[in-house]
Amino acid sequence: MEKSKSDINRRQFLKNGAVAVAALGAVGVGVNYLKHLNEKSDKILLRPPGAVDEDDFIYACIKCGLCVQICPIEAVKLAGISDGLSYGTPYIDTRKQACDFSCDAMQCVETCPTAALDFLPFKKAGENALLEYQKENPTPGPDYNPFIVQSLAMKSNTKMGIAVTNHETCLARNGKSFMGVPREDGFEGVYRSPNPKRKERKASLVNDHVFDRELCDLCVTECPIGDTAIILEEKTRGNGEKIWRPIVLDGCTGCGVCEMVCPTTPSSIFIEKLETA
Amino acid sequence: MINVKKLPPIPAKRREDMPNSKLGITFKEWKATRPNKHKWRNIRWGVLLFFNFLFWASFAFDIGILEGSLSGSRFIGIYLMDPYNALQEMFIGNRTGYFGMLTMNFFIGFFVILMFYFLLGGRTFCSWLCPYHFLAENAEKLHNYLVKKKKIKEHNYSIGIKYIFWGGFLLLAFITKNLVFENLNPVGIISRALIYGPGLLLLWVVVLLLFEIVYSKRFWCRYVFPIGVTYSAIGKLSPMAVKFDLSKCGHCRDCQDVCLVPHELWFVKRGEATKEVHFAGADCTRCGLCVDVCYGDALEFTVKGFEKLL
Repeated sequence: MEKSKSDINRRQFLKNGAVAVAALGAVGVGVNYLKHLNEKSDKILLRPPGAVDEDDFIYACIKCGLCVQICPIEAVKLAGISDGLSYGTPYIDTRKQACDFSCDAMQCVETCPTAALDFLPFKKAGENALLEYQKENPTPGPDYNPFIVQSLAMKSNTKMGIAVTNHETCLARNGKSFMGVPREDGFEGVYRSPNPKRKERKASLVNDHVFDRELCDLCVTECPIGDTAIILEEKTRGNGEKIWRPIVLDGCTGCGVCEMVCPTTPSSIFIEKLETA
Repeated sequence: MINVKKLPPIPAKRREDMPNSKLGITFKEWKATRPNKHKWRNIRWGVLLFFNFLFWASFAFDIGILEGSLSGSRFIGIYLMDPYNALQEMFIGNRTGYFGMLTMNFFIGFFVILMFYFLLGGRTFCSWLCPYHFLAENAEKLHNYLVKKKKIKEHNYSIGIKYIFWGGFLLLAFITKNLVFENLNPVGIISRALIYGPGLLLLWVVVLLLFEIVYSKRFWCRYVFPIGVTYSAIGKLSPMAVKFDLSKCGHCRDCQDVCLVPHELWFVKRGEATKEVHFAGADCTRCGLCVDVCYGDALEFTVKGFEKLL
């Protein structure tokens, strides 16, 4: 008996379909293996501001790169194939180029179409700060600038990670001075100095800033958040010896400017990703 | 209406020797009187290269007209989302409770794409925008040449398995909580490589292309690519289509030779057409190759219902 055409088609579909299902299964096993590798590896990518939990982030990010494109200082980069399943997702290498809020707060978060970088908390923080500011200043004076207030509130809401200091190499902790440019020759990182005297509109090279400090306090003075994030603490020991050390406070956003400007190699202050519950 | 199914087959060894019933000359002679046209192909390649160039230029020169990449972008301020990625995202989001967090821009982008490709119809994205298609279309020519020279054999599979891959990748995404397909997607890989600089994953694209050249014609696009299946579904009832006019057709089937999805032109075979007018189906990429090649203008782009309005 001759087989009909549709019968042959069905047979072929079943045959090829079985291979397809097997291939899908193999992909599934592969993905699970990569997931396992990702969990085991100690290389943790620092996500841009506003990132949701890593478990959610890995699927919420569609790897479009809009956050990369909008960042004015190119702090956000896309991970490569060596990062396994994180391929194509954005991260920030704070030692190379920290997030200094040059965009005046949260452009990358606002541009994200999938809320992998979630803008809602920032929006709320900004609005609340504005309301409070308007309550305190019912009659706007000449200095009235709600934008700065809103922007600062949004910045402060960031929690990319938290700065951790290494007291063994820290210049301040060892009572050393610092003179010159913070980083090695040819370093391309940029940031906008928070120093009000400079009044920079645009970010400039780290190495364009020449410092001369009796006691190194770059991480404290260059912090874009200010004294709610990091302070230099003075302490007198029992034997009368005075020591100084940078203390990271709750206000730290993990932006990493301190890590970028730290003159020691390797950096004596670095960003650690927060463990989220 | 004539009963086309009962037309006797014409005893000719080669298609070229088949007589043209209207003119009384062979197709070979008739073809010689018609110039080689590449009108639609040239327009299409122009559009494809222009938009991929725009993606690159938007980032490279910071002009911000078409930001992002092919998996999600913003065209002069309007968000556009890859529909399959969006589907996966919504599926996983339903499981993890992430769904409620998705932004308005996400849904705007999703619906803009739905509307746009509903209007254009079929897999228009494939032949008019996809950078992988551009490579694969040229690889297909090389493949056809090799087959013709008998260097390699053709391997065909059941077209239906793409639905298995479509559902399978969706299910995998749901189970593993990961955009599994996006990691394998050559379109995204090439698009990102163009915009953000090349990476090692381009090797995967090379492997796919080589496989398509030496083993199975357009393997990835025809049998796997779930984004294409999504677009097919979106554009299935589209008003825009390629119209086939049986009365003008000489059944030379040259259109099926150049067609990127020949199964959609099943009606050009003598005796297969059941109606006077047929429309190419959902897998049609609106590439216009058949429109260019047709010697009798039996195949044309049309907007359904447009003639009635006039």
